[in-house]
Amino acid sequence: MSRLPIHLAGALALAGPLSAIAKPIAYAEGTTVMAEYSAGTMQELQIFYAPRFDYSVGGGHVDFTSDEDSQSAHITYTRLNWLAHRWNLDAAQANVFVWGGVGFATGNSFSGSIFTGNAGGQADYETRRVYASLKTDLQRSSQFSDRVDTLQLGVAPYEHEYGGLATWFVFQARHYTNNVHSGIEAAALLRFFRGGAWVEAGVTNDGKLQAMAMFNF
Amino acid sequence: MKQPQFILTTMLLVATTTSSAATIEMTVNGLVCGFCAQGIEKKLKKYPATAEVVVNLEHHLVAVSLKEGQDIGDADLRKALTDAGYTVKSIERTDTPIADVRAKLKQAGP
Repeated sequence: MSRLPIHLAGALALAGPLSAIAKPIAYAEGTTVMAEYSAGTMQELQIFYAPRFDYSVGGGHVDFTSDEDSQSAHITYTRLNWLAHRWNLDAAQANVFVWGGVGFATGNSFSGSIFTGNAGGQADYETRRVYASLKTDLQRSSQFSDRVDTLQLGVAPYEHEYGGLATWFVFQARHYTNNVHSGIEAAALLRFFRGGAWVEAGVTNDGKLQAMAMFNF
Repeated sequence: MKQPQFILTTMLLVATTTSSAATIEMTVNGLVCGFCAQGIEKKLKKYPATAEVVVNLEHHLVAVSLKEGQDIGDADLRKALTDAGYTVKSIERTDTPIADVRAKLKQAGP
């Protein structure tokens, strides 16, 4: 494979708003459950099953609550995740994921339950010492359009081995549209994973809790 | 009479060589995280011939020990790892027991 796309993917992962959330496909025939609490403005629960290494199906539920005007939206959705490309290097891996799906939403700024569509993508680059991820995730309906862009950069203080505990220091920058949060929300996170379990927690620049747990089995 | 004897001897030798490959060692690209290792281990353990799987991220190594008298072909192994999303660089069959492979990796350290 040409090195140029790898460099482009790495640069993309480092330059733009990237993925804070772990990969939507862990491995073939694996199930991934993820729960995230994001500073009171977003809570999300997802479950995906991957029949193959390059796609997964499932769904989730996400709540948005604006810390500017208290408007909220509660969206339940189904989703197909597709690994568009993977670069397997000697000591690194880079991926580009895209996804899309449909769902329905309720909220306090509109009545009833309305149809929603979701789409997004993620580019990531990972070695055993550094990690960069850029993710964008859009939920859209006739009443709202919520997009969340997340950049994560991680550094491991040591190279973990399979079966051992992995530790990462992660910096996260997140941007919300639709007045969910004004400006860029930055967070410092501490991440641990071992076996199929992953937990991370930290604090945002507003002093709020940011946490995520993920399980693969 | 000599030709059938030669063929039989050759067949026995080939069979002995094949069944004596206690461990298959593969170097794999893209092996950087515990989740990668978990997926590969799960996939390889599905083969009835698999006795044990060792995955080492530092050396990009996946080692499979085989049950007595059983085997997994290179093409099957390559397909299994490709289907798991990884790139196989090399496949080597050795007589080294998997316990020794594990000990060697431990000794080599990170």
